[in-house]
Amino acid sequence: MSTTLDRPTSAVDPTRGGKLNEKSRAERRLGWYLAGPAFAVMLLVTAYPIVQAIFDSLFDYRLTDPENSSFVGLGNYGVILTDSVWWTSFGVTVLITVVTVAVELVLGFALALVMLNALRGLRPVLRTVILIPYAVITVVSAFAWQFAFSVDSGFVNSWFSFLGTTPETDWFGTQGLSLFVICLAEIWKTTPFISLLLLAGLAQVPDVLQEAAKVDGATWWQRMRRVTLPNMKAAIMVAVLFRTLDAFRVFDSVFVMTAGANGTETVSFLAYRQTIERVEIGLGSAVSVLLFLSVVLISVLFIKGFKVDLSQARGE
Amino acid sequence: MRHPRRRLTAMAVAVAVVAALAAACSSAPPGPPVLTWYINPDDGGQAEIANRCTAAANGRYTIATSTLPRQASEQRQQLVRRLAANDSSIDIMSIDPPYVPEFAQAGFLAPMPPAVEAAAREDRVPSSIEASTWQGRLVVVPFWANTQLLWYRKSAVAAMGLDMNQPVTWDQIIQAAARARTQIAAQGVRGESLTVWVNALVESGGGSVITNVGEEDPALIQLGLTAPPGIDAARILREFGDAGVAPPGFPTADEDTNAESFQSGSASFMVNYPFIWGKAKSGVEEGTLPQSVPDDYGWTLYPRTTPDRPSAPPLGGINLGVGAFSEHPDLAYEATTCISSPANSAYYFVSNGNPSSRISVFSDPAVLAEFPMAPTIRDSLTAAAPRPQTAYYAEVSGGIQRTFHPPGSVTPGPTNEAATALITAVLRKEALL
Amino acid sequence: MSTREKVGWGIGGLVIIVYCLFPVAWIVSLSFKSSDDIANGQFLPTVFSGANYEQILVGDAAGLFLPALVNSFGICIIATFISCLLSMFAAYAIARLDFPGKKLILSTALAVAIFPVISIVTPLFNLWRQIGLYNTWPGLIIPYLSLTLPISIWTLSAFFREIPWEMEQAAQVDGATPWQAFRKVIVPLAAPGVFTTAIIAFFLAWNDFVYGISLTSTEAARPVPAALGLFSGASQFESPNGPIAAAAVIVTIPVVVLVLLFQRRIVAGLTNGAVKG
Repeated sequence: MSTTLDRPTSAVDPTRGGKLNEKSRAERRLGWYLAGPAFAVMLLVTAYPIVQAIFDSLFDYRLTDPENSSFVGLGNYGVILTDSVWWTSFGVTVLITVVTVAVELVLGFALALVMLNALRGLRPVLRTVILIPYAVITVVSAFAWQFAFSVDSGFVNSWFSFLGTTPETDWFGTQGLSLFVICLAEIWKTTPFISLLLLAGLAQVPDVLQEAAKVDGATWWQRMRRVTLPNMKAAIMVAVLFRTLDAFRVFDSVFVMTAGANGTETVSFLAYRQTIERVEIGLGSAVSVLLFLSVVLISVLFIKGFKVDLSQARGE
Repeated sequence: MRHPRRRLTAMAVAVAVVAALAAACSSAPPGPPVLTWYINPDDGGQAEIANRCTAAANGRYTIATSTLPRQASEQRQQLVRRLAANDSSIDIMSIDPPYVPEFAQAGFLAPMPPAVEAAAREDRVPSSIEASTWQGRLVVVPFWANTQLLWYRKSAVAAMGLDMNQPVTWDQIIQAAARARTQIAAQGVRGESLTVWVNALVESGGGSVITNVGEEDPALIQLGLTAPPGIDAARILREFGDAGVAPPGFPTADEDTNAESFQSGSASFMVNYPFIWGKAKSGVEEGTLPQSVPDDYGWTLYPRTTPDRPSAPPLGGINLGVGAFSEHPDLAYEATTCISSPANSAYYFVSNGNPSSRISVFSDPAVLAEFPMAPTIRDSLTAAAPRPQTAYYAEVSGGIQRTFHPPGSVTPGPTNEAATALITAVLRKEALL
Repeated sequence: MSTREKVGWGIGGLVIIVYCLFPVAWIVSLSFKSSDDIANGQFLPTVFSGANYEQILVGDAAGLFLPALVNSFGICIIATFISCLLSMFAAYAIARLDFPGKKLILSTALAVAIFPVISIVTPLFNLWRQIGLYNTWPGLIIPYLSLTLPISIWTLSAFFREIPWEMEQAAQVDGATPWQAFRKVIVPLAAPGVFTTAIIAFFLAWNDFVYGISLTSTEAARPVPAALGLFSGASQFESPNGPIAAAAVIVTIPVVVLVLLFQRRIVAGLTNGAVKG
């Protein structure tokens, strides 16, 4: 992925391009002096733990019974990959990811269009309110949605009786309904972020092209498909990549709303359950490593497969 | 090239970190040793008892409390992880009974002095002693003991022709409730309370979830879920689901939502802990509940699984453990004696609604005035059976929860076999949970 | 744009406002319900009650909530400060200097940003126990840097590209070293970008849950999201929805204030450079 990361410096330095003189050596040194601490901290907090997790994943190691830990090679991976629980969690995670990202993209695009076209006076208001879901803590959002849908403290059942809900509709009682509420909470919280990225993308579409298409008699839909969307491809792909990676790691909402009941376990939650709840550090570390590999795989697929140019990418 | 600014920056970072460190670990004040008591969240009772025992210690020790998470399983996670790292700051712990074997077998509990053990065995309901014992030794001090009763609305049951002065079976109340088109509030949520229910059904039928209690090798643990009492337990759960007597949101119904259903009258029966009495009474005090509602509450022993066998009601509560890495284990054990004294137990019962493990407390006039069902609670605690005692309780309970949820949809036989297969595989570390 | 279109987009705008504020309004409303009113099945409380706020600010739960609030503020502010400081230098080097390893630093930042937190929390827990950082402020500040540093580096690099570098060059032509040029010319120009980065980094740290529940155990370092799971009702079985809602409202206030004050900057920070061709 590093090949796509080359960010050209925007300014042209007249002294650059010559031989490696004293000045450019000093510049190299200064570069590492300045960037080194940040680099070292990032390595410390992630590289060390993941190496440790890979190491632990090769052992049968229980937190409460360290004396009896033994080397099992790839045995833990064998257990996980032949267990239907892993594949169910994986499927649920993929489902949540696909559903939320797809809905967020469509909804986010709609929000971006509204913000672009709304009256001048309304725009700052919209920009402010749209940041609120982004800024609200995920756990708080999960609690809010859970309380709204729950049988005892919610209002949803009494409000939506025309859709067939009764006071006893149990939103967290079945897999389908639980996943629906979890996706809803995720979508509410993260659509604004996507819509802001898409709004910035929309603003980048040259007006000249739009006007030219209008003159040619193109309908709104044709302009959207032929002019707007192609010009926003980069923004869309970046938004999708970051949201996909984010959604794939979903944990907080599941933890708060169902604690994994009714087939709502995601891969992150499965790792949590083995490591923290079952205190099987070896098995849990293996799940963590598989989760990490999945995330890396998604990134590689996006970057190689869809040619996402990450030099333009930023985000969460 | 030298950069004084860089060094300044590094210093600023260091200063910030050190300042944060200093703020986080302010040095211990001089004076008597401070014993840290990790408590489960309650209505302030344990904090008050800590103050009382600090006062009673006359300066020999001070007890400070630190709150654990709300769920018993999360309390255990937090304590286990700290103890696995030889944490010396854990002096006294409030431990949920089913996790006692795990703590004991891992060597997380300081050995109990004989004098403390003698005192801890005195005046206790038998189930609380059983739940505090591992490999024949008392390893924790029983503090309070909880149990579920069968609660019923007297007005509704009067019309059903059911004699609640006689022991009743699950089949009887399910049929009566179905005929009267009312509900039985029971905990169907996928959580510890489901294991509590399944275990009580199995034990009441004369069976056991684990048949060789005390086995330390997880691969050799024998399960009794497929024996006739286990099948009978699954049959009752299924009948409960099929008869249409389940409370609203049954697959997520916990103790509190069920207390609401029972209070509102939509359920005429309920299996639940005595906290529901305190809840109803505080509703009356706040003026949101008419006095006629608690007046309508009736209570009796937990329903039987089979007509000819007394029920084995669920056992809960809290036991006091002393951390193996505590710097003051003797003082900590001394403090547990104070904490679980008859006076403090009675105070905790009356103020927080948590029944005592001490038999004598149930005849305390203050307790009887507040909890008229105290004798029934005592009888229930006498007959109660602990949950399966094993150092691998989290795995066993997790396996039951996964296979028996939602409880109304279990299939007697196949569900029992699935549970046995899953738990066995998990204990052999051949499956995820 | 025709009047009909204007009205249409205006209605769309109103829908957005409702969409964004509705769940927040709900949790505020819930926080004002008394414990017996929680189950009233309605959006609004029957009677507005301050009991939940009383419980977490001065009542039983104050001992849990107030230290958690202090921890959250302290830890997040320090983490934000350190991460801005480190990323300021790194982003300057990336945007301006030519040195080998630039790609490596940016790739690392990206890899750290996509890292599943759950994968690192257990090894980190074991390490923290060994070196005594478990349940301390630095024990949370350091992992929070893994949340805040990557986005800070990327955001600041983008901001630094916007800075008129001719001014720095002018300073260098006048004989200033790269370091002096950075300090005297670029720092004042970069301040708004740094400020924006700080706000976004603060949001990320404030949002943390997994580190909070895994690396702390007492009031010494426990942040608010982790403390929400510790509130209790009148007994261990009674659900504390009211106090949770009140605490949720209080932790939402700071971020809403930041959004109200700095919305323009935050939007710029989140999107600036995201779609530069």
